[in-house]
Amino acid sequence: MSLDVEDLLRQGMERFAEQVPVPSGLAHQAARARRRRRLTIRAAAAAGTAAVTAAAVLAATGGRSAGGSATRVRATAYVVSRVEKALADQHLVLRGRTTSGDWGPSVYWAYGSRNRFKELTGSGEPYIAVGTALIGGKLTGVYVTYYNRKWSVLPERAAPASACSRTGTLEMAGPAAPARNWPAFIRATVACGAATVTGHAWIGGVKTVRITGSPVTEKLSPGEARAVHEKWLRSRWTLYVNPHTYLPVRLSGSNYTYGGPMPSYYSTGVTDIRWLRPTAANIAKALVTIPPGFRHVRSPASQ
Amino acid sequence: MAAQDQRVENLEQFLARRGQALLRTAALLTGSIQAGEDLLQAAIERLLRQRGRVDGDPEGYLRRTLCNLATDEFRRQSRWRRKLHLLQAEAPTSADTTAEVDLRDAMVRLLGQLPAQQRTVLVLRYWEQLNGPETAELLGCSEYAVKSAASRGLRRLRELAGGLLSDETQPHDITARTGDGS
Repeated sequence: MSLDVEDLLRQGMERFAEQVPVPSGLAHQAARARRRRRLTIRAAAAAGTAAVTAAAVLAATGGRSAGGSATRVRATAYVVSRVEKALADQHLVLRGRTTSGDWGPSVYWAYGSRNRFKELTGSGEPYIAVGTALIGGKLTGVYVTYYNRKWSVLPERAAPASACSRTGTLEMAGPAAPARNWPAFIRATVACGAATVTGHAWIGGVKTVRITGSPVTEKLSPGEARAVHEKWLRSRWTLYVNPHTYLPVRLSGSNYTYGGPMPSYYSTGVTDIRWLRPTAANIAKALVTIPPGFRHVRSPASQ
Repeated sequence: MAAQDQRVENLEQFLARRGQALLRTAALLTGSIQAGEDLLQAAIERLLRQRGRVDGDPEGYLRRTLCNLATDEFRRQSRWRRKLHLLQAEAPTSADTTAEVDLRDAMVRLLGQLPAQQRTVLVLRYWEQLNGPETAELLGCSEYAVKSAASRGLRRLRELAGGLLSDETQPHDITARTGDGS
């Protein structure tokens, strides 16, 4: 292989750039953002920044009262209850797409107890898939590795029920987690008091409500600490929900490791979420299909 | 208002042709697609303030603004962006099928450890294919400063990647999972 730094850098840039999507509506988004900024500055000049902040929270939540932290608590309670209800009542197919500077793009489909997580390489080739497959007519957890054409049955694992535990919060910093009921996980997470409504943000032309989780700092286990040469991991997450349906439209998270002999490391991931009608085609996408010719191995460790 | 809308419309048409190229540069300057989108949007907002430039060729202005904003952002975030390390806690999520591919990815990640000017110069040179005088003009600095930044940036990259480059037969941890011989 070529080990010339300049060649590797050039090729790495090309590989990275392949993942960059074709943007659309950039000028209109920028024009809207500029207009909002101007309005905010005008309003702030007229009424003071604190009032503008409170108005933003109230506008995001539909509340009527004014005030500081009490308003925020009420806003959070209101939004959380709506998000919980929306997630409990939905019978839609979830599609999440994650982009990150640190791992390959991935897609996650879920419908009821069916789910499929698939990670791609930078050039768009399938890399791994995790989720449920129909084997002998029964829903079974499977793990597929495309690069060596193998698959195995995934053992049941005790996944955290919500992000309210420390380990649960770590799950929020990556892509929508595979092999779990992600809507239920999010529902439990916003309900446990670890999140606060922190205003709103424009995503895809929609003014979403922003819910921010409490940051968590975790001391790494000795094994993990040895692997990454760090001692601590700090995780943050933010969820954006549609103000009309209260269903999540985006999850962003970050992990920051530090405190060891290696330089600190910061990684982020953003998952864009869409809720689709439960057509037969969409439901089928929530199942992992094992490609013909792939070899069955005893456990994921053999892959 | 109609004139403003027309300007936005013209800009949208321009971005339909050149938006992806600009976004790729922005993503390389910032190290992530998400941050690149934010950077490009900020540059477009600035462009919209410069009414006269939108009607001409806005590409040069946008490219220069991207570089300047990226440098400012790096300075602001230098506390934690200064350094990245190669190891990752969860190997499966970042690996690829060959060590060479991983080395290329590592190079782009290592760019984040370079000072803002060195990183910008390397992106302009190796991604935008600009030569020394063109880079100097874009950044508003001397050609000597560009050469110096490129040289120091490459030297630093070699230092940072030293462990990976010197051990060709032992792929780094993050590709170890692919080496099962199958």
